[in-house]
Amino acid sequence: MDFIIEGIRKAFHLIFTLDSEIFSIVLLSLRVSLTAVILASLLGVYLGFLMAVKDYWGKRFSVALVNTLLALPTVVIGLIVYSLVSRKRGPLGIFGLLYTPSAMIIGQFILAVPIIIALTHSAVQGIDKRVRNTALTLGATEAQSAWMVIKEARYAVLAAVITGFGRVIAEVGAAMMLGGNIKGSTRVMTTAIALESTKGEFGFAIALGIILLFVAFSINILLHYFQSKRV
Amino acid sequence: MDKLIFKVRNIKKVYNNKIVLDVHNLNFQEGKIYAIVGPNGSGKTTLLNILNLLEKADEGQIFFYDQEITNKSNSDILEIRRRITLVNQNPFLFNSTVYDNIAYGLKIRSISPKVQKSKIRSALNIVGLSDFEDRKANQLSGGEAQRVVIARALVIEPEVLFLDEPTANIDQKHIDVVERIIKKIKEEIKTTVIFSTHDLSQAYRLADEVISLLDGKIIKQVPENLLQGEIVEENGLKRFKTMGNIKFAIVSKKVGLAYISIDPRDIILSYEQFQSSARNSFLGKITKIIEQNHLVKLEIDISIPLVVIITRESFFEMNLNLGSKVYLTFKASAVKLY
Repeated sequence: MDFIIEGIRKAFHLIFTLDSEIFSIVLLSLRVSLTAVILASLLGVYLGFLMAVKDYWGKRFSVALVNTLLALPTVVIGLIVYSLVSRKRGPLGIFGLLYTPSAMIIGQFILAVPIIIALTHSAVQGIDKRVRNTALTLGATEAQSAWMVIKEARYAVLAAVITGFGRVIAEVGAAMMLGGNIKGSTRVMTTAIALESTKGEFGFAIALGIILLFVAFSINILLHYFQSKRV
Repeated sequence: MDKLIFKVRNIKKVYNNKIVLDVHNLNFQEGKIYAIVGPNGSGKTTLLNILNLLEKADEGQIFFYDQEITNKSNSDILEIRRRITLVNQNPFLFNSTVYDNIAYGLKIRSISPKVQKSKIRSALNIVGLSDFEDRKANQLSGGEAQRVVIARALVIEPEVLFLDEPTANIDQKHIDVVERIIKKIKEEIKTTVIFSTHDLSQAYRLADEVISLLDGKIIKQVPENLLQGEIVEENGLKRFKTMGNIKFAIVSKKVGLAYISIDPRDIILSYEQFQSSARNSFLGKITKIIEQNHLVKLEIDISIPLVVIITRESFFEMNLNLGSKVYLTFKASAVKLY
């Protein structure tokens, strides 16, 4: 028991003294995950929107596929991206991405895209069909009416993006396999927690755990806020 | 003022192998108010949507002034779409304030915020909602929402304003308000207004010209008591079953879906049910009384509303009032089949 209490005491000490190593890890986590989610949102919101409003061949299949991808294990993403960016052997090896934050961003991007597509799809589907017609009758171009639909779905779309962020900030499999947990370069909160606890550095691990929980908590508060703004 | 703003030539629209609209020749003149009347499913909304370029006709031509707009793509007709606008039945308001809703059409036309402001003020003024600017759209009543939607349409100063059943889903108080607004639009802004309604008397009250639609075709005049339903056979006798599941005895050779009408002058009113050769007799309650010169027009609810016209003498002699319960009696042969 003592080591847990000691760990918690040390954790608060590290947090309140603004330990530089802890905070560089937190900042890297945020940078990697935010970049991944912003890129994933650009693609995911667009595709989710198209899937909701367009009629195309294979629509049901694509919806089923995206829903399946929601359950994609992070280690499988790690494996796929690893094999692609693996130096020397992988088809994208020449870019030298393995064990860099870029590789982690790619992994987290792949993780977040299906979530954002699926949630945007259902958000836009839930939007009244009259939005588009109303915009058109008021003189909107096709693009302007599409933008109005997204705007009407704004809270739900934001919730989709935040859910994607919550997923990637907390994942460990892809970050470990693609980043390699290199100190000062690719060590993020989750991989650091995994490593430090096996090393017996509980204070450090618990400090990161608390911050991660705090991030998760903030995300949920935001989500709740945006969901309550709907209707 | 007699320039033709819309010309419709041989328009046909088919849904699921059924012709829902079949209009040969229809003209709309600048600055007039047109009412398109007909029962539900007669093609009113389809006609409005086609004129509004929201839907394409399967055949035929449409001219806006002298420009053919039939098969233009959306971007080609953007300039024309921006000169006309439609207010939908069941109006939709964007999830923001009244002000932002009305501003939308101006914003997408890149009109400066300052000009927007004064235009929005005067549009709200016309519909009598001057102090509603900051109200949230989702907190308005149905009638208020309908007026905001009309303001949102007027603010872009359309050359043609289309209104699809503008009074279908609002209470009587707001119906009067909306009717006054339509009159005001004609008098003050001189916009061409084309609206649809299933209320025949409203059409004649407001419009310069009434266009009657039945089953997708233009007919001379929509009769009173026009009902849609099905002719069924029961014990060898033909019955017309209305949507409200009331059955009328009729004279018919065919069965299946049909329209019927009953001339309001052919219905006899009485307090007691009496024996006669007339096959139809229903108990109803008077819900509306309108005096028209030497005649009185009554709306009587027999679980569907029927219009009955009687003379003033009969009306006073029978001492009829709102809420009076009376029997309506008419012959099977008084039911006209379409």
